Amino acid sequence: MQGFERRLTAVLETALAAGMLGILLIIVVLVAMRYLFHSGMVGANEIATVAFVYLSSIGSAVAVGRQEHISVDVLPRKLDRRRAKVLRAGSLILVGLLNAVIVACCFRWILTTGHTPMPTSQIPRYMAQASIPLGCGIAVFYCCVQLSALLREEPGA
Amino acid sequence: MIFLLLASLLALIALGVPIAYSLGVSVLLYVSLTDPQLILVLPLRLFAGFDSYALMSLPLFILMGQVMNSAQITSRLIDFSMLVAGRFRSGLALVNVLASMLFGGISGSSASDTASIGSVLIPEMERRGYRKEVAAGITVASSTMGMVIPPSIPMVLYAVVAQQSVGKLFLGGVFPGIMVGLLQMALVRLLVQGGSEKAPERVTLASAANRTLRSLPVLLMPVVVVGSVVFGIATATESAALGVFYAGVAGFALTRALRIRTFWECLRSTTLTSAKIMIVIALSQAYIWVLALERVPEAIAGFVVDLGLGATGTLLLVDVIILAAGTVIDVSPAILLLTPVFAPALQDLGVSPILFGVLLVTGLAVGACTPPVGTCLNVCAAVAGLDIGRIFRGAAPFLAANAATLALTTVFPEIALWLPERLMP
Repeated sequence: MQGFERRLTAVLETALAAGMLGILLIIVVLVAMRYLFHSGMVGANEIATVAFVYLSSIGSAVAVGRQEHISVDVLPRKLDRRRAKVLRAGSLILVGLLNAVIVACCFRWILTTGHTPMPTSQIPRYMAQASIPLGCGIAVFYCCVQLSALLREEPGA
Repeated sequence: MIFLLLASLLALIALGVPIAYSLGVSVLLYVSLTDPQLILVLPLRLFAGFDSYALMSLPLFILMGQVMNSAQITSRLIDFSMLVAGRFRSGLALVNVLASMLFGGISGSSASDTASIGSVLIPEMERRGYRKEVAAGITVASSTMGMVIPPSIPMVLYAVVAQQSVGKLFLGGVFPGIMVGLLQMALVRLLVQGGSEKAPERVTLASAANRTLRSLPVLLMPVVVVGSVVFGIATATESAALGVFYAGVAGFALTRALRIRTFWECLRSTTLTSAKIMIVIALSQAYIWVLALERVPEAIAGFVVDLGLGATGTLLLVDVIILAAGTVIDVSPAILLLTPVFAPALQDLGVSPILFGVLLVTGLAVGACTPPVGTCLNVCAAVAGLDIGRIFRGAAPFLAANAATLALTTVFPEIALWLPERLMP
């Protein structure tokens, strides 16, 4: 499971970096076209924004996997190993639970509003909305993997 | 219910649950107990938090700083700073402050300033007889300018949350940022007994011109980035993208220190850094939505107005709260939580949102250098190999410059408002 987790993280990080590069290129090209050719690309800003939503959603899931989210760790650092482990497990359960609830709520939301096209690119909205259950689903996966690793840990390890 | 909302948030943060998810779980708890139907709004709030063209400038500014950093511009900045300040007593300490001032105008981030300047100057200062905690302390304290001097990532964040002009906020940070730098230089002259500085090197006009010319492309970068926003040539997002392009050209063609592999690594780490901030933004929007349902901002606005302290008195009180909040919460979440709470109240008192933004960022920058959560302290601890307590003791005297700037800008708002009012009326 953890081997798969590492491979998944590597693949996701590569995709995120490529997405960031794509956003950068779209914006630079748009500025260049505006000043050099007095023209633009219809819907390009919207596509860049959709890519950004995916980057944020999946990126925050990867940050769960890498345990890199912004937190105040003053108390956990002061606790002994066993209590710190209990806190860490509790934190993972809460993060996983929140993400699972969001995934569950997404279906009705997307079914209700997803068919509406976006204003300029005319892409159906569900293409962007899908980023939320995808990102939250990956976050739930990371929480489960880490929780199982935490529970398997030797008491003195 | 409002007590539950606030208490659960504070408890979860204290227990080490990531701040973003503490916000989300508090909202989940609140809606489960009040109106479970509202749970369906959670994905919508999360999506709305991510779905912002303006916020795209955030990762691009982060990327710009990282690319510039990887392009090894630090040596050029230090070289230029040596030219200007190296010949004075405690010259290397002055160079440290000046280099941070220039670096702040390029990276927009205090943490990268601490890492870049610190890794070069702390060992060098120690070698020349400065006490290590003084060298580390000056590095940390001066890095606070990275958040205030434009372009500044926290200012972009505030601009988006408070729906204010990024250009005006950038301009608002210019004089307070310079003031922090000048006051810190004055404190260095007063307090630092210089190490065994080398005899000042003889600088000919030709070599000075040559060194300035070498640094010029790097020094011009903030002018290009901020200028393009201020003069309406590009939006904040576009100017950030142009900044990355400029940094890329500088790194590949000018310093030749940037490689495809390091650029790719910058892209990878930028997406993760920005995602960590974006999830806080998105879930704080959900939290703020619940606060609005409970009419908390109106209640605080009413309470603040009823205190009868007037605009300046209230702002001074808010300054103290900002400084206190900065010691326990990281800069981005603090901006996201404090802005919706205080901005409406201060607006009722006639305080400019631009002034509040500048004070907020200037105050929170101090928090980045104070235990227990100071990001810059932690970065500096890794760079200098000292514990954060010793670094903080070294930095504390120089942070007085930040506190003085905060108080002066509060009492004389023109320090922050004069430039934006002149250039972007």
